[in-house]
Amino acid sequence: MTGWLDAHLVSMVDGVAYGLLLFTLAVGLSLVFGMMDVLNLAHGTLYLAGAYTAYALSDGSWLGLLLALVVGLVVGLLGGGLLAAAVAPLQGRGHLDQAALTLGIALIAAEVMVMIFGAQVLPTAPPSALARSVSVLGHSYPLYRLVFIAVAGLIAVLVYLAFERSSVGALVRATVADRDMVRATGVDTRKVLFGVFAFGAVLATVGGVLGAPIIAPGPGVDDRVLVLSLVVVVIGGLGSVRGALLGALLIGQVQTLGVALMPAFAPFLLFGAMLLVLVLRPQGLFALGRA
Amino acid sequence: MTTRRTSYLLALAASGALVLSGCGGGTLGGGSDDAAAEGPIKIGLLVPQSGVYKSLGDDMKAGFEVYLEQHDDKLGGAEVEVILADEGETADSGKAAAEKLVKQDQVTVVTGVVSSAVMNGVVDLFETSKIPLVGSNASPTTLTDATYIWRTSYVNDEPGEALGKYVAENVDGGVYFLAADYQAGKDEVEGFKKSFGPAGGETVDEVYTPFPDTSNFQPFLANAKSSGAEALFSFYAGGAAVEFVKQYDQFGLKGDVDHYSAGFLTEGGVLDAQGEAAEGTFTAMNYNYDLDNELNKAFVEDYEAKTGMKPTTYAMASYDAAKVLDMAIEAAGGKADPEAINTAIGEITEVESPRGTWTWSNIGTPVQMWYLREVQEVDGTLRNVVVDELGELGSD
Repeated sequence: MTGWLDAHLVSMVDGVAYGLLLFTLAVGLSLVFGMMDVLNLAHGTLYLAGAYTAYALSDGSWLGLLLALVVGLVVGLLGGGLLAAAVAPLQGRGHLDQAALTLGIALIAAEVMVMIFGAQVLPTAPPSALARSVSVLGHSYPLYRLVFIAVAGLIAVLVYLAFERSSVGALVRATVADRDMVRATGVDTRKVLFGVFAFGAVLATVGGVLGAPIIAPGPGVDDRVLVLSLVVVVIGGLGSVRGALLGALLIGQVQTLGVALMPAFAPFLLFGAMLLVLVLRPQGLFALGRA
Repeated sequence: MTTRRTSYLLALAASGALVLSGCGGGTLGGGSDDAAAEGPIKIGLLVPQSGVYKSLGDDMKAGFEVYLEQHDDKLGGAEVEVILADEGETADSGKAAAEKLVKQDQVTVVTGVVSSAVMNGVVDLFETSKIPLVGSNASPTTLTDATYIWRTSYVNDEPGEALGKYVAENVDGGVYFLAADYQAGKDEVEGFKKSFGPAGGETVDEVYTPFPDTSNFQPFLANAKSSGAEALFSFYAGGAAVEFVKQYDQFGLKGDVDHYSAGFLTEGGVLDAQGEAAEGTFTAMNYNYDLDNELNKAFVEDYEAKTGMKPTTYAMASYDAAKVLDMAIEAAGGKADPEAINTAIGEITEVESPRGTWTWSNIGTPVQMWYLREVQEVDGTLRNVVVDELGELGSD
């Protein structure tokens, strides 16, 4: 047993890093869909925009990373606000119209980013102080990913507390559960919706800035992270921060430990896990009761 | 029921997005189409101007142009007009561009083609329209009986085959195979095994990583490390090559497990992106910019003056395609006659090239020397340096 643990410890640690990265993406998608009933297929584009921001601004110094984070924050706010404004007129016209619109925006944005940054994958270096590997119980592991786990873990805890324990969070959860009732109490739900959209977008771009050294920016990365976060949302359940967190951590392990244990089945593990959840518990493992 | 329905919808969206991401289209690039019967010989240059292979396309375009510039824009004494078409990144976009060149622009010969999928897709087009295609990169192992298709590069499995025997003889212990899960990756591993097994090499395991979805190689590298293998043989190119080499370093395999690979792993721009992590990597390739011959010196100098970069094997193969056309058009009397040019290409017995002199094999690919290269720091920058010869391939 200790031999098995020793062989797969690094995979498990890496699964946590991967899972937390997915959480920063999936939570926005989940809340926007859960609350506004808006399917935002441009969500992966926000990650990519953040990752390109990190590539363009990070120069190996802490200041570069800080600058990239600030710019990423602004990009996220603007992007989220624009997307929210774009889909607002489509309220109540069904998912297909929203999907078509956001997918169109995603395709245009992807082309624009290729025009600016070229068609290469652009590996992004972390701050030089973190650009080395350390020994984790005798196994070499990149220091940046350890720090990422700490930072992203902190973000996850803060998001969780904000949504589950604060009054603003209660308002958001109430809007997820019954939008009309919240409106009836005199709250302008559109502001809540806009706020959540922008918040989710900021998390995705900040995830992109911090995640660029792990999933480097390049053409097609937007689709890949979008698919991963959609799977996380399906597994975790809609509109729930807890669901997104646990779903993301689960998919993180599937993508690292699962692949290490069954490398031959690597292409099928992700969707295999999704299929299993759909068959056994179609509303998601941790869905907020709305059915 | 709403959540159940929306869950299915999301699952559908997840699968749909996967499919959609696969069908990015390529656009047809410039080119004029005056249908003048007399005038310069029209040569179609079919290389990617967009998509993930764009940098290879840029290298090939530059290599071809360097040859033309060295020869006053003439091939075989005739004026030529190069018509550029965008191969894009899928078989469909490449096929559409090839059809435009052949049918609309009515070119006499075509050169280029990066992707093996495109090459497989255009075989019938060139064989039935009897237009010679002097390919300068893609060369699937299955393409063995074409009459009008030539390649100045190599057969896909040759970089692996060149390396197999050397690794079997020089590595004291088992070798772990890791390759991207698509045709080129499998061809490379098959080629490697062709010469590795007979020379007494010992295989630990053979694992293929999903392509292009794998950006995190950690679980695969962890397995390779704990397997106790002495060396790793890999096949990756482009963005995946950068990620793979960096993670090979980050997860502590560097210095513990020797890394051998087909030359694409460290060819061209990817080496800069890999940085120090790539140092000490061994690769097999049919060309390196530091080969010591007069033709190569002139080529490297002119190429650097034009692009500011050292030429890659892709640029060199395209340069040679121009050379082959130069010789063939001259032998065909300088006329825009596809049949005569194709016959003349087949009659070429020796091509003087920056890689050294090569001849045609009986399937229309070069019989050529292969080199072992190591990534070393030269004057403060990382470069591929030739450290050994791996022997000649292609003659059987």
